[in-house]
Amino acid sequence: MARFIAHRFLQALPLLWLISLVVFVLLHIIPGGPMAAYGNNPNMTADDFKRLEHDLGLDAPLHVQYLRWLGAIVRGDWGYSLASKRPVLVEIGDRLPNTIYLIGVAIPITLLVAIPIGMLSAIRQYSVLDHSVTTVAFAGQSIPVFWFGLMLIIVFHVILRNPVSGTPLFPGGGMYTLGGPFSLIDRIHHLILPVAMLAVVSAATYTRYMRASMLEVITQDYVRTAHAKGATLSRVIWKHAFKNAAIPVVTILALELPTLFNGAVFTETIFSWPGMGRLFIESAFRYDYALLMAIIMIGAALTIFSNLFADVAYAFLDPRIRYT
Amino acid sequence: MKASRRLGTLVLTAVLVLGSVSLSTGPAFPQTRGGTITFALYQEPETLNPYIYVQTASGEVAVFIVEGLLAYNDKGEYFPRLATEVPSRQNGGISADGKTITYRLKEGLKWSDGQALTCEDVKFTWQAVIHPKSGAVNTSGFREIDTVECPSPTTVVVKYKTYYAPFLGQFTSGIMPKHATGDPAEMTRWAYNRKPIGTGPFVILEWVSGDHITLIRNRYYRESGKPILNAVIIRITPSREVGKQLVKTGEVDVLWDLAESDIPEIKPAAGVKISAAPGPGAERLVLNLADPALDGPPADEVAKHPHPILGDVRVREAIEWGINKRELNEKLLFGLASPGTNELHIGWATCTTRASEFDPNRARQLLDQAGWKVGSDGIRVAQGAKFAKDGTRLRLKLQTTTGNKLREQTEQLLIDYMKGIGIEFFIENVPSAVLFGSWSSGAFRKHGHYDVVLYTSSPDPDPHGQVEGYFASWKMPTAANSGDGFNYARWANKTADDNIKLAGSSPDLATRKKAYCAVMDELIKDRPHIYLYGRSTLNAYRERLQGWVTNVWQNLGWNAQDWSIK
Repeated sequence: MARFIAHRFLQALPLLWLISLVVFVLLHIIPGGPMAAYGNNPNMTADDFKRLEHDLGLDAPLHVQYLRWLGAIVRGDWGYSLASKRPVLVEIGDRLPNTIYLIGVAIPITLLVAIPIGMLSAIRQYSVLDHSVTTVAFAGQSIPVFWFGLMLIIVFHVILRNPVSGTPLFPGGGMYTLGGPFSLIDRIHHLILPVAMLAVVSAATYTRYMRASMLEVITQDYVRTAHAKGATLSRVIWKHAFKNAAIPVVTILALELPTLFNGAVFTETIFSWPGMGRLFIESAFRYDYALLMAIIMIGAALTIFSNLFADVAYAFLDPRIRYT
Repeated sequence: MKASRRLGTLVLTAVLVLGSVSLSTGPAFPQTRGGTITFALYQEPETLNPYIYVQTASGEVAVFIVEGLLAYNDKGEYFPRLATEVPSRQNGGISADGKTITYRLKEGLKWSDGQALTCEDVKFTWQAVIHPKSGAVNTSGFREIDTVECPSPTTVVVKYKTYYAPFLGQFTSGIMPKHATGDPAEMTRWAYNRKPIGTGPFVILEWVSGDHITLIRNRYYRESGKPILNAVIIRITPSREVGKQLVKTGEVDVLWDLAESDIPEIKPAAGVKISAAPGPGAERLVLNLADPALDGPPADEVAKHPHPILGDVRVREAIEWGINKRELNEKLLFGLASPGTNELHIGWATCTTRASEFDPNRARQLLDQAGWKVGSDGIRVAQGAKFAKDGTRLRLKLQTTTGNKLREQTEQLLIDYMKGIGIEFFIENVPSAVLFGSWSSGAFRKHGHYDVVLYTSSPDPDPHGQVEGYFASWKMPTAANSGDGFNYARWANKTADDNIKLAGSSPDLATRKKAYCAVMDELIKDRPHIYLYGRSTLNAYRERLQGWVTNVWQNLGWNAQDWSIK
C-alpha cells in the first residue's frame, strides 16, 4: 500500500508539470492581457507603459516568463497578484475559509439527505416513494443550477416576507449582516439559501447513485442469505448491504473534495459569497496570471490527490481490492 | 466502519477549524452619532493607493480617505482641499513663467493617526511617484517637476523643469504620508495600499476581501463636527444587478454607476433618488484616416497612403449626416444622454457646437459627389472616387467591445442608418482587453489595422492630455515612439497642432480654452471622430441619505463629510 501511494505521488509530479505548462500557455494566448487595463488612460506615456510592463515581467518572451514562474514555484514562491499586488497566497488565504465554510456545510447536508433517501428508494423499489424520489432527483439534476439559485432568491428573498418584521424571509446574499455584532443565528440565516442551492442539486445526483448501487447490492446472494438466516431488515441493510453500496458514493464524494478549494462559481456569484469561485472569475476578467495559475494548479493538485484518496478509500472499504 | 468514522471526525474538525476563521467577528465600532450607511460597488478595488490603481471603483473607495491639495467641484473647477486657496497669478501662487507653483497648506492638518501633515509629505509623494521602481501608473507632470521645496512646513514650492499646462491637476490625486508608507522602491508592497493613512473624513476599519470594506469617521478630520456619519460600509457585489436589487429593497443607501438602461427599473422604486448629470465621457466612432494595411504609419506616411474610403472627408461627413443621433438617444438611452457634439462638451473648457441633424439626403448627395455610385444591391461602389479604385465596394468594418449590450444595439442601428445611405457596415467585435490592448501586444487600434471603432473616452477636468493625446499629429502611435499617443484616427491638421501647442504652453486658462475650441472647430469639420452621444453619470441614493452633491468630475464620495441620515 505504501509503495502504491508513493508511486502515485511520483506519477503526479510530471502530470502537474505538464498541466502547469499547458495552462500557462493557454492563459497567455488568450487575446488581451493585464496591460489592456491601462490602454485607455490618456495620461500614460509609452514610457510609463513600458516601465509597468517590465515591472510585471510581461515584456519577456513567453518561455522566459514560464521558466521564471516555474523557478519561483519550485522555491515555494507563488508570486504576487498582478491587480492587487498582494502575495497570491494571501489573496487565496482571504477567500479559502469562506469557501470551506460554505462547501463544508453543504456536503454533509447533501449526504444526510441523499443517502437515506437513496437507500429507502432502493429498498422500496417501484413504490410510490421510489417513483417520486426518482422523478424529483431527475428533475433536480436537470435544473440549471444558476436558475435554481435565482428562483430561491425570488421566492425566499423577494416574494416571501417575515410576517413579524416585514423584512425578506432570507437574506439575498452575503455571509452575515454588515455592521452588526456577531450572531450565530444571523450566520445560519445567511447560510440557508446558498446551502440549499448547492445541496438540492448535488443531493439529486447522490440519491441516484445511492439508489442504483443499493439496488445492485441487495439482490446479491449474501444479502439474501442474511435475510434467510432471519436477520432483521435494519441489520441486513446496515450491517451487510450499506458498506458495499457506499463504495461508489465514496468515490464520487472523494472526487468532489477539490470543491472545498475551488468553490462554487454560480452559488458564490448569485449569493455574493466572497469565496474562491468568485476570486477565480474576478482574476480571469483581470488577466491576473499569477493568481489564476495558483488557483488552477492547486485545484489540479487537489484533484489528482483526491483521486488517489478515492483509490485508497476503496481498498479500505472493500477488502477484495489490493494495491501492490 | 470505525476507520471511516475517524475519517469523518477528521474532516468535520477541519471544516470547523477553517470555518471558524471566517466566523470570527469583525472589529466592532460604536453605533452612536450619525449612523451608518451602505454603499454598493460592483467591483472590488485592487488597492487604495491612488498612484497604483486602475479601476474607477478603487477611486470610489479611496476618495473617502485620501485627499489632494486641490479637488474639482461640480462645475469641473478647482477648489482648495488641503491647500488654503487655488494658486493663481493674483495670489502669487503662480510665477510669471508659470513654472513655479506655490501652495499654502491649511494650518494644523493632521493625518488620521494624529501626526502632522507637512510640506515634506507633498515632497515625499512626488519622490515616491517618480521612483523608477515605484510601479506608479501615471507619472505625467511629476516627471516634469524639477524640485519640491519646503521653506516652511505649510508652504510647498513646486518648480517645473518645463511649463506643464495641467499643473493644477498635479496634486489632486492624493498626498501620501511619509511616516506611514515606506520605501518608494517598494511602493506596490506597502501596507498603506490596503489600509491608507489619509486626511479624508473616513478611515479604514477593516477590508474583508470580496465582501466589504468598513470605513469609520476620522477623529482627526480638520472640520469640527464632520463627518456627520459614523460609518460607511462599502458592500462589494458580484454585479451591478445585485446592487440594483439591494438599493430597491433599501439594503444599501448608495449604488454606484448605473447604465441608462437601468433607469426605467430603478426610477419607480419607492424611496430611491437618481442622480443624473451629463458626464465627460462621449461614445464615438473613431475613423481610420490611414490605409489599414500599413503598420502604425506616422503622419507623412498617412498623407501618402490615405484610407481608400475614409481618407476622403466627404465620406466621413456623409456618415455623420446619415446617423440619427436623436433617435439613438431616445431609443437606446431613454433620452438620458445628450446627442454627441465634440470632445469638450462639458467642463471649464466647454466648446459649444451643435450636434449634427439627421439628413440622409445630404449624405447621399455627398457620396454621389465623392464618386460613390449606388450599386445593384443598394450598396455604393467606387466610380471616380478620390482614393479608392473603381469597383471598390463601400464596405467598412465596425468594431467595439464584446458583451456590451448598449454598444451592440448601437451597432445595429448604425448598420441600418448606413444601409440607408448606401454604406455597408459589418461587425467584428472583440473583448475590451483586445480593443484597448497595448502596442507591444499588437493591438489593432494601436497599430492602425481597422476601419471604424466604437467606444467611450473621457477627458479629465483638465482636458490637455486628452486633446493632445487624441488629436495632435505627433501623437500617432508608431514603432518609432513605441506606440505612444492615442491619435488612432491618424489625423493631422496644422491649425489643430498649432492650437494644441499654444494651449500646452499658456498659463492663462482663457487663452487655453480659446485654443482648445479652435481645435474642436477643426475636429467637427474634419471628423476624425464622430460623436454619437455624451454619456450620463448615473448613481442611485436612498432618500434617507442627504447631503450628496452630483459631481461628474470626482468620485461620488467627494463630499462625504457632509452626508447625513434624515
